[in-house]
Amino acid sequence: MNESLAERRTTGKVDFRMRGVVGVWLRHYTAFKGGWMVEMTGIILEPLFILAAVAFGIGKLVGDVEIRDGGVGYAVFVAPGIVVGNAMWHALFECSWGAYRRLQTNRIYDSILAAPVSMRELALGEITWGATRALMTTAAVLAFATVTGLVESPWAIGILGIGLLTGFMFGGFGLIAAAVAPSTHMLTLVFTMVGTPLFFFSGTFFPISTLPSWVQPIAWALPLTHPVRIARALSTGDLHMGLLWSLLYLIVAALVFYPIATRLLRRRLLV
Amino acid sequence: MVRATGLVKKFGDFIAVDGISFAVQRGETFGMLGPNGAGKTSTLRMMSGLSPVTSGQLEIDGIDATANPRSIRDVIGVVSQHDGLDPDISVRDNLTIYGFYFGLDRKMAARRADEVLGFFDLRSRGGDSVDDLSGGMRRRLTIARAFVSRPRLVVLDEPTTGLDPSSRNRVWEQLAVLKNSGVTIVMSTHYMEEASILCDRLVIMDEGRILGSGTPEELIRERAGADVAQVRPEAGQRDSVHRQLKETDYEVAEIGAIFTVRASNDRRADLTKISGARVSFRPPNLEDVFLSLTGRGLRDE
Repeated sequence: MNESLAERRTTGKVDFRMRGVVGVWLRHYTAFKGGWMVEMTGIILEPLFILAAVAFGIGKLVGDVEIRDGGVGYAVFVAPGIVVGNAMWHALFECSWGAYRRLQTNRIYDSILAAPVSMRELALGEITWGATRALMTTAAVLAFATVTGLVESPWAIGILGIGLLTGFMFGGFGLIAAAVAPSTHMLTLVFTMVGTPLFFFSGTFFPISTLPSWVQPIAWALPLTHPVRIARALSTGDLHMGLLWSLLYLIVAALVFYPIATRLLRRRLLV
Repeated sequence: MVRATGLVKKFGDFIAVDGISFAVQRGETFGMLGPNGAGKTSTLRMMSGLSPVTSGQLEIDGIDATANPRSIRDVIGVVSQHDGLDPDISVRDNLTIYGFYFGLDRKMAARRADEVLGFFDLRSRGGDSVDDLSGGMRRRLTIARAFVSRPRLVVLDEPTTGLDPSSRNRVWEQLAVLKNSGVTIVMSTHYMEEASILCDRLVIMDEGRILGSGTPEELIRERAGADVAQVRPEAGQRDSVHRQLKETDYEVAEIGAIFTVRASNDRRADLTKISGARVSFRPPNLEDVFLSLTGRGLRDE
């Protein structure tokens, strides 16, 4: 037995081992490496199709969109929304569908938990991997948007961080869904009832101000609205203090979803 | 190595484990024999730190399992009924990643993976997907995984259930070698043959309780007595044979198409007067012990 483990056992400090989190992440990375050619198509190609359709197609038909300091071309307006929206999809998919498969279909969680990995570490490993995938797609789509001239400010590099945080937030949300879903059937509701409306109504494809006034507060409460707002500001260079509220929303949501997911998984598995 | 006192597991109102007590010595292979629903899996899950103890005491390798489930998992290896193998990574990675969870560095984990792959005759399959393995190989890989961390105690939940006879024999041989290497093994089974081949000592469980304990020989000597008669009715004679047997004062049980008949003293049952059936005698086994303790067969549902 490893000495440092034996040591930690006797100190009786907070029972959290980074090794558990890293181990779970490493498992995902190993699986990803095994099938990366296929995985990459999902990470890069799909958002690229949407972005290309908007930039070279729809964008040509739609006029400028008004944002805080004037108008921008439609493709410039939409690009950061698509970048962050994809970060959401990837984290959500990995931590709901993927996690459910590991939990229920293949029962991998049972064996991970039979090793000295705690539920808290397992959940954080899952969410961190979801965030990693979100970061990968963010980087890929952002790079494409940059070379096609849809990014106007060097601040846009910060979108990588926003993509990562978006991944943590929706990774936690996805894991909650996986923990409570009775079947894969129910789990698809996460995509149709949560993913799709968020993708379209979070100020991604049109400004929230175009929605009927009674719907606008709802749109502002949606979790994807905030990373989209920050990403757009970074992309156009239109930074202001109000964005800090959106950043706070993002961080708090991520910090709230994670322990809830841990608790629900515990309730499901450790009986 | 393991000491359980008044161990209880409840799921809502259902009592899965009803206050059992037992002790396992270091280096021993200890079995729990019983039918489905006897409480074996619940007991093993509590021992693995995967299921909270409802009440009672459970100590493993000097650690209080009710308070430190994780410290338990540092020192034991678990083979659950569902293999829980990872189909998204290779056979070998299933082992190296598992070693990493236990605190082995990646080089050490790789070395241990190769060692256990070799021991369980899986070396040539290291790069394959788990999905390409046969049932017997999957089981061996699951057992191999439990040994990656060099555990002091290995807990196996029905290690050969669902395997064909030759795969089963192979698992038994390998477990026998590991047992001789000094590791403590606790296993559940509903195969009496498995229990008598592998276990130094065992408990017989039913409905959450321990009904008897001892070495297989002790249990058989004390609870099953002399040779057991097997009465095989000729075609169409079942009811008539059954009637004749009921008139004796022997203990009679029907398993499948044959009657098992035992005298209550230490002598063989005298069945010379039974007509319409073939009578043969065999030495008693653990199945008879279970039968005499519960009045049912091990595999009755």
